[in-house]
Amino acid sequence: MAALLSLLPFSAGNAAPVDAEHLTVELVAESTALAPGGSAWLGLRLKHDPHWHTYWINPGDSGLPTKLAWRVPPGYAVDEIAWPAPQRLRVGELHNFGYDGEMLLPVRVTVPAGAQPGERASFALDANWLVCEEECIPGKATLSLDLPIAAAPAPDPRWQALFAAAHAAQPQAVDWTGAATAHGDAVEIRLTGANLPPLEALDAFAVPEQVLANTAMTFARDGDALVATAARSEYFDKSKMPQTLDLVVVSRAEGVRAWRTRVAWREVEQTAAAASAPPHPSRRTKAVWRSRSRSHCSAACS
Amino acid sequence: MITLRTILATAALSLVASGPVFAKAVVGDAAPGFTLTDSNGKARSLAEFKGKTVVLEWTNAECPFVKKHYGSGNMQAQQKEATGEGVVWLTINSGAPGKQGAVDGAGANAVIKTSGGGQTAYLLDPDGKVGHEYGAKTTPHMYVIDGEGKLRYMGGIDSIQSADQADIPKATQYVRQALTELKGGKAVSVSTSQPYGCSVKYGT
Repeated sequence: MAALLSLLPFSAGNAAPVDAEHLTVELVAESTALAPGGSAWLGLRLKHDPHWHTYWINPGDSGLPTKLAWRVPPGYAVDEIAWPAPQRLRVGELHNFGYDGEMLLPVRVTVPAGAQPGERASFALDANWLVCEEECIPGKATLSLDLPIAAAPAPDPRWQALFAAAHAAQPQAVDWTGAATAHGDAVEIRLTGANLPPLEALDAFAVPEQVLANTAMTFARDGDALVATAARSEYFDKSKMPQTLDLVVVSRAEGVRAWRTRVAWREVEQTAAAASAPPHPSRRTKAVWRSRSRSHCSAACS
Repeated sequence: MITLRTILATAALSLVASGPVFAKAVVGDAAPGFTLTDSNGKARSLAEFKGKTVVLEWTNAECPFVKKHYGSGNMQAQQKEATGEGVVWLTINSGAPGKQGAVDGAGANAVIKTSGGGQTAYLLDPDGKVGHEYGAKTTPHMYVIDGEGKLRYMGGIDSIQSADQADIPKATQYVRQALTELKGGKAVSVSTSQPYGCSVKYGT
């Protein structure tokens, strides 16, 4: 039985690109070898047919994120997908978040210190995706990659451009301070900190589902703050009130730049008592809160 | 200075300005009323089922996510189980003519026959009006309305977002759970979830 299984073509996975419906997938590496005790980038290369797309970790109004299940040699470890900044894809009236064209989903692999130059490491990957134009087709493939261990790995020239693009589109951690203030259906997100992006070609995406509606946010500057106005998700679950919200902010003003930030989540109750400050406002949000409460009250509370 | 009024005004403006708009069905509020023609040419309205629990199921038989739940028999089993308990189950197709999965009455009846469907009726919404009123975005997309006409659940059919039938036994079936809880006079423990699936193929 084991001998029979080993003859099946998918048991080891496809080292070559797999041409699936409307999508070509391939497991590739940034370098031609792996260094003992180091980390390296593997990537699922996705080449979409024109007008077809796959999805980000939060797919938006419909769709599914691409999922990977790895089999790696003992001592090796792979991280989750390091999702590049998504695009906003419109399908009719719906907003989806994902990728088109040719790109790759990078995954960091950690190589054990005891790996010996001259040995080889075999990686296998079950990839599952949903590829859509307007219609959708689920797909899957088992892929493999066999890499030598070497003290000083060289970049693989075939994939440098794709890895460079994926790294450039990687949301960078920033120490902005922020709060998302939800009032009824509206959610105002204020970000302050160094090097906030310009307003042109700006977009932002909630990492979790069921918090923000997927429609495009509007952006404005208010003093030193960047203010994004969003709407609450129709599927917001008040029984699981978030404490924080992870956001990816994407600028396409000059190439793609992206940042990831975690902001506090605050609810303004829609009652007369709501105008008072929250129980434990942070120092930074307090002033904002007061000014908003005043303007709210001048219209509705007097 | 950006004030809350500005924000709300902007939000209201963007609702007006952004063209076709999804209304918002809200759990706990009255479900939007509607009248649609069923697959046999008969006008059916939500009001007709006053006093009964009603399930709405948005569908497109060619969507892989709908195929997941029909190919496995999960959807038909829940339809039969629900209607056996006196619940009304309305399958709705908001696909515009010519789009994937859009059907006329005869087409809908063929789908029911092939799938062994147990729904009370299959309603046709080719102009997408009712779909928009409910904010139906995916197939499947599910709603549960109680006997008083209040929306008690909206979202996905179950808890595992995939197109893979193998996930069904592991998933919490939210519609079944909501119906059981309503029947037992309990609060619906999960009253909203992320709908998942294909986009509803509205016309432009």
